[in-house]
Amino acid sequence: MSEHGGTDLLVEGLFRREAGRLAARLTRLFGPARLPLVEDVLQETFAAALARWPIDGAPERPAAWLAAVARNKALDRLRREVREQPFDEALFDAMPITEEPKADLDDTLALMFVACHPALGEDAQAMLTLKTVCGFGVNDIARAYLTSSDAVAQRLVRAKADIRKLGLTFEIPEGGELAQRLPALLQAVYLLFTGGYTAGEGEDLIVAEFCVEALRLAELITRHPATATGEAHALAALLSFQHARASARIGNSGELLRLAEQDRSLWDRELIARGFAHLQGAMTARELSVYHVEAGAAAVHASAKDFDSTDWQQLAQYYAMLEELKPTAVVRLNAAVATAYAEGPQIALLKLDRLSGDRRMDDYALFHATRGDLLFKLGRHEAAHAAFGKALERPLSDPERAFIATRAKSCRRVS
Amino acid sequence: MPDFMLFLHQDLGTGPIRSPEEMMAVTKEYMAWADRMRAEGRLKGGERLANDPGKVLRPKGGRIAVTDGPYAETKELIGGYFAISATDYDEACRIAESCPHLKYGGRIEVRQFHTM
Repeated sequence: MSEHGGTDLLVEGLFRREAGRLAARLTRLFGPARLPLVEDVLQETFAAALARWPIDGAPERPAAWLAAVARNKALDRLRREVREQPFDEALFDAMPITEEPKADLDDTLALMFVACHPALGEDAQAMLTLKTVCGFGVNDIARAYLTSSDAVAQRLVRAKADIRKLGLTFEIPEGGELAQRLPALLQAVYLLFTGGYTAGEGEDLIVAEFCVEALRLAELITRHPATATGEAHALAALLSFQHARASARIGNSGELLRLAEQDRSLWDRELIARGFAHLQGAMTARELSVYHVEAGAAAVHASAKDFDSTDWQQLAQYYAMLEELKPTAVVRLNAAVATAYAEGPQIALLKLDRLSGDRRMDDYALFHATRGDLLFKLGRHEAAHAAFGKALERPLSDPERAFIATRAKSCRRVS
Repeated sequence: MPDFMLFLHQDLGTGPIRSPEEMMAVTKEYMAWADRMRAEGRLKGGERLANDPGKVLRPKGGRIAVTDGPYAETKELIGGYFAISATDYDEACRIAESCPHLKYGGRIEVRQFHTM
């Protein structure tokens, strides 16, 4: 009993990270059609750690231990199946148990291309990425997607069946196929991030971890020569700028802080610098993508030393471009906010009121909250109060609700 | 101080599917418990058994019969054991109570080693 490692060898998130890495290696061995088998092997591998480590202590290099066990479990499986389907044991030389970052990068990206195949739905792509590439559990995914674990599990089973039917190979696509399939990959990473950014609002740590994972994957994509396109860099830049503000977004009592109220000394300067480096890489693109424009807008905020010195003119221009590329409710709202600062609340209000016939806008709480804010600025406190009231009738996260309720009350005090 | 055997009973089968993160949390809990036993000088041994029902041998009509067992009808098996030292059953049971095995749906049988 003298030689044993304690739990301190188990760094935070070790199993989750190794699950993603091992899934990528195992999928190279077994092929994408057998993802369920890959998951079984992983489950057995972690069960082995649970069985051995309390008695033997943690191995000195836990990641290498897990890789060696996974390799043996995989080999067992294949030997058991050998009568049905012969296999080449030499393939196992391709699964080294030592750390090899280059092979890891290739395998992880290849797995992402499987999980994000355009034939799968957008939700299925993001869920499968979270499950296989990032090692999250079905329960975690269900919480982020505000659905049941059973629903997520079914979705994943269907996605894996689709992958089997598609007969995908495990590789990073080339040429025209790469150009066709990379956007879905970027989109999935973007959705991973925005899902984490907006859902739960800091109440849920898992959701915050989704953001960290999305950022990690965006970085990975820009590290491989095949996938490091200008668009990929633009996405990485955007996520870097956004995530740099993460710790400044939540106030002391868990409330949501707007850009104007955030303590900018809490912004992650290193991450902002990485964002600008990616923005440089993004310039190689032949045409501007949505990510370029969003990253440009995020860069405007990132480079303003305080709220008042924000370059609103430039921001309004970015949002005008974005409105053409992607006229979603959120984008139009942000465009109006930028206009309010660039040209004044009156013009911004006109802009918003032109959108009010849109059903999607009317259902969107923040549309009414923004109207309330502009009306308040114009001294129309009664109308502002009514707008905040409408916002409160629509779905909101708890911190948002508390914030808007306070604003609504302040209208009464002034008038 | 006498030694006690903590037999860790569990249901046959793999149990609920846990995410890697949950597996790590459970592993850490068992490790922390075993570490505490070691630090107190109580841990005399432990082993985890394979997740299958095993075999039972019985004399039958002058021969030895080998069957799957031993609890085929209850779908329960001994998944492993810890051997610990404690002053008496009371203390042994208190220690067993702190073992994470109970939290994860298992049963613990406490038996004292025979002493002269």
